[in-house]
Amino acid sequence: MDIKISEDIKYIGVSTRDIDLFESQYIVPNGMAYNSYVILDEKIAVMDTADKIVGEEWFSNLKSVLDGRKPDYLVVQHLEPDHSANIEALCNLYPEMQVVCSAKAKAMMPQFADVDESKIISKSEGDTLELGKHTLKFILAPMVHWPEVMLSYETAEKVLFSADAFGKFGALDADEGWSCEARRYYFNIVGKYGAPVGTLLKKANALEIKTICPLHGPILTDTITDVLNLYSIWSSYTPENEGVFIAFASIHGNTAEAAYKMKEILENKGCKRVAIADLSRDDIAECVEDAFRHSTLLCMASSYDAGVFAPMADFIHHLKSKAFQNRNVALVENSSWAPSAAKTMKAEFEQMKNITFVGEAVTIKTRVKAADIEALEKLAEQLV
Amino acid sequence: MKYVCPCGYVYDEALGDPENGIEPGTPWEMVPEDFLCPVCGLDKSAFEEE
Repeated sequence: MDIKISEDIKYIGVSTRDIDLFESQYIVPNGMAYNSYVILDEKIAVMDTADKIVGEEWFSNLKSVLDGRKPDYLVVQHLEPDHSANIEALCNLYPEMQVVCSAKAKAMMPQFADVDESKIISKSEGDTLELGKHTLKFILAPMVHWPEVMLSYETAEKVLFSADAFGKFGALDADEGWSCEARRYYFNIVGKYGAPVGTLLKKANALEIKTICPLHGPILTDTITDVLNLYSIWSSYTPENEGVFIAFASIHGNTAEAAYKMKEILENKGCKRVAIADLSRDDIAECVEDAFRHSTLLCMASSYDAGVFAPMADFIHHLKSKAFQNRNVALVENSSWAPSAAKTMKAEFEQMKNITFVGEAVTIKTRVKAADIEALEKLAEQLV
Repeated sequence: MKYVCPCGYVYDEALGDPENGIEPGTPWEMVPEDFLCPVCGLDKSAFEEE
C-alpha cells in the first residue's frame, strides 16, 4: 500500500488481513497494520521493525525505500514482539547500523534480540539524534504501555512517532472511522495506564504536531486535535458519553429478556444512550470498551455455582485489570433458588476506585414477571 | 504501608528500596520527590496506595 508521509519520511509498514487474533486475544475483523517508517537524510533512520508474520514484506518494503543505501540507525521505540521481531535480522543484515533506544530498552534488549551491546546508543528524555535536515528528539513514555517505550519527535517536519499510542485495530485500507476501533484498542491495551498516558499527553500538548505516525492504524494529520482530546478523556477515566451500558450474562434466556426489557424501559424514560451486550456471545474487548465509554454500567447476571455466571465474572475480571473506575454501577441478578450473583459482583466492584452503586440490586427469580418489571422500572428511574 | 506503580512494582515502606538508596522503614512521604520507579521509570505521582 502506497502511503505518503513526506518526501523524506517513508512508510514501510505492512497491513494484513491474515490474522485471527491480535495478541492472541483481540478479534480484528478488519486485520491489523504493523507500521514502520524510514527517514531518508544524510543519515538514514529506520523507525522500529514489524511483526514476524509480516517480516518478509516489511524487509521488501525497507529495501525498496533504501534503494541500495544502508541505514545508519534503527530507532527502537517499543520492544513488544510485534515491533521488535526483526531487530536481530536487521542488525545482522546491516552490521554497521546502530540501535537507538531508551536505557530501559537497552537493558531489556537481550530478552528480545541478540544485538551487539556496543552498537546500542541509549537515549534519555530530551536527547536528540541528528540525521541532517532532520532531528529526532526523544520523549520517554514509560508504561504507555510498556516500561521501555520512547517516542520520537522529528523537529523539522513536526512529526511525532508515537509508538503504540494513538494506535488502532484494523488494516490501513479498512473502511471505517478512527474512533471506534481506536477506543477498543485504547481501553484494552492501554486502559490500565491512564496516569502515564496523562503524563505523555502533557508532553505532546507542548509540541507543535503536524503528523502522528503510530505503530498501528492510520497516520494522523487533520484529526490530531480530536485525537488528543479523546485521549485526554479516556486517560482521565472520564466517561465519554452519558448513558447506560447493559452487560448481561444469561443462561437460559430469562436474564437476557430482562436486559432487553430494561433497555426498552430506559429508552422510554428518555435515557440519552443505551448500549447492550450479551457477554456470552459478544466480543469481550468491545464490552470493555463500552463499559469505559458510558457513565453507567448495568450488570445483569444469573447466579451460578453460588457465585456469578462465568461470562460476567470474566467481564468484571477484565474491567478490574484495566483499572475500571469513576463509574456508576447497578446490579440485577437472577436466581432459581439461592441468589448469589449480586453480592459476588458487588464484592468485585467494591475493590475498584470511585464506583458509585445506584439503587438496590434487583433479584429476579427465573422468569421475568410483572413484579420484576416494576422493580426494573424503579431501578431505571435512578439510572436516567 | 505499600505503594504500587502502574507497572506492578511495589514500594513497601518496611522494606524501603536499599538497592536504590532508600533505607528500610522510610515512609513514602520521605522518599525523595525525584524518586523514579526502578522498574519502569515513572515518578512518585503515578504510584497509588495499595
